[in-house]
Amino acid sequence: MELSAEAVAVIGFVTLFALMLLRVPVGMAMGLVGVTGFGYLTGMEPALKLVGQTVMRTVTDYSFGVIPMFLLMGAFVSVSGISRELFRAANTFVGHWKGGLGIATIGACGGFAAISGSSVATAATFSAVAYPEMRRFGYPQSFSTGVIAVGGTLGAMLPPSTVLVVYGIITQQDIGKLFIAGIIPGLLAICMHMITIAIIGAVRPGFLPAGPRSNWRERAAALRDVWSPLLLFLFVIGGLYGGFFIPTEAGAVGAVGAFVIGILRGKLNREGILQSLLQATRTAAAVFTVLIGALCFGYFLTITQTPQHVTEFLTGLGVGRYGVLVLILLMYLVLGCLMDAMAMIILTVPIVFPVVTALGFDPIWFGVIIVMTVELGLIHPPVGMNVFVIKSVIKDVNMSTIFAGVLPFVATDLIRLALLIAFPLLATWLPMHMGG
Amino acid sequence: MIMTASQPEVSSDGVLTGPPEPARKNVMDRFIDSIEWVAAFFVGIVALNTFTAVFMRKFFAVTIPDYYNFGQFLLGILIFWGIAATSYRGTHITVDLVWANASPKYQRWIDVFATLVLLFVVTVQTYTLFDKVLTTRADHIVTMDLQLPIWPFFAVSWIGDVSAVLLIAIRTWRLIFHPEQVHDAKIKTAE
Repeated sequence: MELSAEAVAVIGFVTLFALMLLRVPVGMAMGLVGVTGFGYLTGMEPALKLVGQTVMRTVTDYSFGVIPMFLLMGAFVSVSGISRELFRAANTFVGHWKGGLGIATIGACGGFAAISGSSVATAATFSAVAYPEMRRFGYPQSFSTGVIAVGGTLGAMLPPSTVLVVYGIITQQDIGKLFIAGIIPGLLAICMHMITIAIIGAVRPGFLPAGPRSNWRERAAALRDVWSPLLLFLFVIGGLYGGFFIPTEAGAVGAVGAFVIGILRGKLNREGILQSLLQATRTAAAVFTVLIGALCFGYFLTITQTPQHVTEFLTGLGVGRYGVLVLILLMYLVLGCLMDAMAMIILTVPIVFPVVTALGFDPIWFGVIIVMTVELGLIHPPVGMNVFVIKSVIKDVNMSTIFAGVLPFVATDLIRLALLIAFPLLATWLPMHMGG
Repeated sequence: MIMTASQPEVSSDGVLTGPPEPARKNVMDRFIDSIEWVAAFFVGIVALNTFTAVFMRKFFAVTIPDYYNFGQFLLGILIFWGIAATSYRGTHITVDLVWANASPKYQRWIDVFATLVLLFVVTVQTYTLFDKVLTTRADHIVTMDLQLPIWPFFAVSWIGDVSAVLLIAIRTWRLIFHPEQVHDAKIKTAE
């Protein structure tokens, strides 16, 4: 009995979910299901030919070089110990406020995320750097871990966000524009989280004690440690904005710049260099694996016409374009209970993207919206990747304690999401004025 | 063999140190390390190639011949060799919902199943890529400026894929017979 394309699509999705739940790497599961499904419908020989072509084309696409380059830049800077210096610098300015250490953590997370591009790396790093300080000053465990978890999510929004790069590759959008589009929403997130902490500090006296005030000499000394990596970031992203570099070149300039700064500051030794190269390699390979899988799976989606069916279904619901958008975002919030950000993006964007463009939404804006939504999945139960990472670094804390600490910030993020939907210019204004 | 499973993956300075390594390395561990170093070396080369090309173009208006093609093919090499290392170290992007809530015994069997699927997929990929290397050679495809044949780059990439098959086979063997020798990364920085 010959199965219809629709039936093959359903079987394919069920198999894919089963494989992913059995911990088969997401990219490999997508590749396997995609190629097998494609092979069933067209013959195994063309399907296998497709594997060779897709794999080789993906790994030799020069524009995809942006991923390892920015990862290498982030690795050089973080191995140089920037996280502690950023935290110290932020702390000298705001540490004497109620909740000041929390505000400093958010500021430092923003700075670190802007260099590393990774939510998980940011959360892990500040679990080691900021958590002991907050506890030393008597901050509650749930608040301290909650701040770090939410601070980590900044890595997904601020350039050079790996998640935004992956979105850009799958949807064939300009990665430079996506980077730039994430700046205002990322800065908005930093401000809103800081305001949330300040409100908590004001409403609950004694809950978030103030630390000692630093004098201007201490502040200047702390800034001396962080100015060069931050200048490098501004140069790289500024170059991208001004059309001076394409993203891959910006990443390479950033990586070499970070290497030189690390050497000149005496922070990067032989071991640190090797560690950075290894870290960038491992992460880049993991990201490319999901990209290869997603592209193979994309052929399966095309031949089964899944995106067209989903588009017809959603646009036929009669709930209007914003109604469909809300449904899509709700789906992401539910999926966030099952899987993490990258897996969600890779799996769902090829299906929902045609719907969104058919409804007339801006693809760059949608990238920002979608990344904001999946960011929430990094901190809400039961998966909450950032929460797992914090738990793996800080042994004496329960998952429920961290989730409790995250709650006020989830509310802040939902407000920010509503703002971005109401005012798309927050994401699209900067890319509209890019050079090049 | 003495292992350091409890070694933290992040230092007190917030520096990620990667998955724990064995205190004493045997021949197999050194082989695995060598494959990782090949990939890591190529990351540095790709960065240097691109940086030099940008520097020469922007400041001296000089274009390095074939820098674009070199960048492409070196990227391919680094990714294939990197996939080999990533597959062994368990740093692929996975959905851990079921695994995280399973007992250690079932965690191990889930890992064995996942690794066997990984082995199958990468073996098929290696087979198809060999075909790609052969057709590229037969078609005499060359680089844009220097007219160098590109099949040797593809061949080096393919050797990385063969290494991936070997490393995944080693991982499968260790998961089944010596699970104490496998220490996966808890912190996966791809997100």
